[in-house]
Amino acid sequence: MNPSEHAALYRSFLKRLPMTLLAAMLLWLALRPVLDVAVSGFAQLLVRSFEYPRVTRLVVEDHSAEVRRSDFRTDSGIPAIPLTEKHFNTIVLLALYFALPRPFSRRQLERLFMGWCILYLTQTMNVLFHVKCLYALSLGEWSVQNYSDLARDFYGFWRYFTDLPGRFSFPFLIWLGFNWDLVTRLIGPTLSSGEETTKKKPSTKPTTRPKSKRRKRTSGR
Amino acid sequence: MDFRSLWHRPESRFLILFLSILGVSFTIVALKPVNDAFVVPYTTLIAKVAGIILGLFGEDITINGCLLRSPRFAVTIYNGCNGLITSLIFISGVLAFPARLSAKVIGVIGGLVSIQIINMVRIISLFYIGIYFPKLFNSSHIFIWQSLVILAGVTLWIVWAHLFTAQPKTDEGRND
Repeated sequence: MNPSEHAALYRSFLKRLPMTLLAAMLLWLALRPVLDVAVSGFAQLLVRSFEYPRVTRLVVEDHSAEVRRSDFRTDSGIPAIPLTEKHFNTIVLLALYFALPRPFSRRQLERLFMGWCILYLTQTMNVLFHVKCLYALSLGEWSVQNYSDLARDFYGFWRYFTDLPGRFSFPFLIWLGFNWDLVTRLIGPTLSSGEETTKKKPSTKPTTRPKSKRRKRTSGR
Repeated sequence: MDFRSLWHRPESRFLILFLSILGVSFTIVALKPVNDAFVVPYTTLIAKVAGIILGLFGEDITINGCLLRSPRFAVTIYNGCNGLITSLIFISGVLAFPARLSAKVIGVIGGLVSIQIINMVRIISLFYIGIYFPKLFNSSHIFIWQSLVILAGVTLWIVWAHLFTAQPKTDEGRND
């Protein structure tokens, strides 16, 4: 790939990004009810896997997950976790994926599927730690009796880390991790790792078939 | 696959470095003394600057810590709204990326300034959305502006990487 092709890729990515952001927002708005149920459903499964007796239920109500425990008093307030904040970062992941060249090719759709699955897992973990944090910190005497200081610190840290830093950085990390070859191509010629530049130097000499095969594999994940 | 072979793959090395820097920086800013000595005054400063700008636009603004209040609307700027998180993510991306030290310094300074400008536009616009379209405030605050800010950070990172790492590198010049 020559520098002008890199530049063209880079320009087309930047041009497409606002459009793909809009498309990603519309897609997310359409999928929002499904994502609400999927994220809270899996989080509920995980919460219940580690509790005895299994009392937690996460009920989706107006884009929030209401934390209903069967052992709550009937007159007690029901805490709710806003789900929009948990999975809005899907927009970022979709926008970044769609802005890359040939987003609907089989390879890119496979990468999107894998990336989305990982992002979904991080969103679920965020809800899980939010619920555990609620139990460990916000239920007064009950929290003090049932959770140790270490447990409070543990859940507090992971809720914090999967919350703001995670929510903001995971889409970018996942996108970059799965599309390193494409991203480095749009960034510039020398960045496709030091290997590529050092390998490119002897390209005046005939290259043997196995070497070129190996190079293809490393640059294409 | 062992750690050494992972380390030799540029994408995994970047991800390992990025996550390590991100983890360390977020742990540091989460510590109570750091939060009290840096994050809270920083957020207060952002609120003050936003208040001054809104004052220039003719708003009758009262600033009380992180709270901006006018007779028409009031907003509180929390930790997630001060641009610090996006800045830390951007800085982690710049530091983890194989580039020259000078490029990284330019990236960090330029990125911090740009992200703060974008965040200021966000705060001001949200204030006016709160006045004129209160029903849209929550959706604008959560998914529109947050997505925009993250994508702005990613775009800045790509522009920086394109501008400063796409030149031929020499071994001495490398700082990765």
